[in-house]
Amino acid sequence: MAISDAEGESPAAAKEVGGERKRKRLAERSLLAKWKTEGERKSYSSKLIEALRVVRRSSCPAPAAVATDCSRSRAVRVAADRALAVTARGRSRWSRAILSRRTLKLRSRARVARLKPPAAAAGPRAAERRKPPALEQKARVLGRLVPGCRKLPLATLLEEATDYIAALEMQVRAMSAVAEILSAAAGGGRSSSVAAEPM
Amino acid sequence: MSSRRSRSRQSVSTRITDEQINELISKLHAVLPEARGGDNDRVSAAKVLQETCSHIRRLHREVDDLSERLSELLDSADLNSAQAAFIRSLLM
Repeated sequence: MAISDAEGESPAAAKEVGGERKRKRLAERSLLAKWKTEGERKSYSSKLIEALRVVRRSSCPAPAAVATDCSRSRAVRVAADRALAVTARGRSRWSRAILSRRTLKLRSRARVARLKPPAAAAGPRAAERRKPPALEQKARVLGRLVPGCRKLPLATLLEEATDYIAALEMQVRAMSAVAEILSAAAGGGRSSSVAAEPM
Repeated sequence: MSSRRSRSRQSVSTRITDEQINELISKLHAVLPEARGGDNDRVSAAKVLQETCSHIRRLHREVDDLSERLSELLDSADLNSAQAAFIRSLLM
């Protein structure tokens, strides 16, 4: 039996290595697919509703007539982003960056048009660099869009962007569902039993 | 994308290979909403980055619009019943 064990070890070990790789690939795929599951969306939606409750409570003291919609929608946006980052469970850089932010960074900085690098100076030899400057520019723009990813190497930035896009799509789906439910509840009057919309 | 010549000139400190980056780019391309037919191998990195930036900006704008809508709804919203509806759907 010991011999058969020893014999069975090497193919088993090989299978393990292959299995590990497969597991890693599956894990990567499931990381993105996770954002598409109903469970995640519902978990995010409940967090969102709680956050909305907080926003409403905090903006109540202000006279309702003068309530600045702009600041409240910004508060809603911040709350939604934070809820999204919490749902990510801190596994990604952008979620940690959102949670460590204090307030929403206003996009007040005017987008200065970047001067293109002097491509004319690049001779035929220098033209083929590791990363052409056009790519670097775009990567920098992307780094600005994804929170907390300004000075990341390209590979990490691409990973974060992929996860961030999946998360944002889930955020849009969940927020529109919540808005639908709230508008239906508001429009249908204050009935005691609100029919749960099939999601 | 880059020729093999430039790859050999890469500094040893960067462990990230071009292949890894290409893989990530194709993964990113798969998530983007441009429904490409079959040929997904020859995507240019610049185009993918461009598409990614515009897609993220679009999603940001949607989230902004939705949060505006939600903030308008907050006044008349009955959060308790909405939450009850969610919990009910979770249990069912």
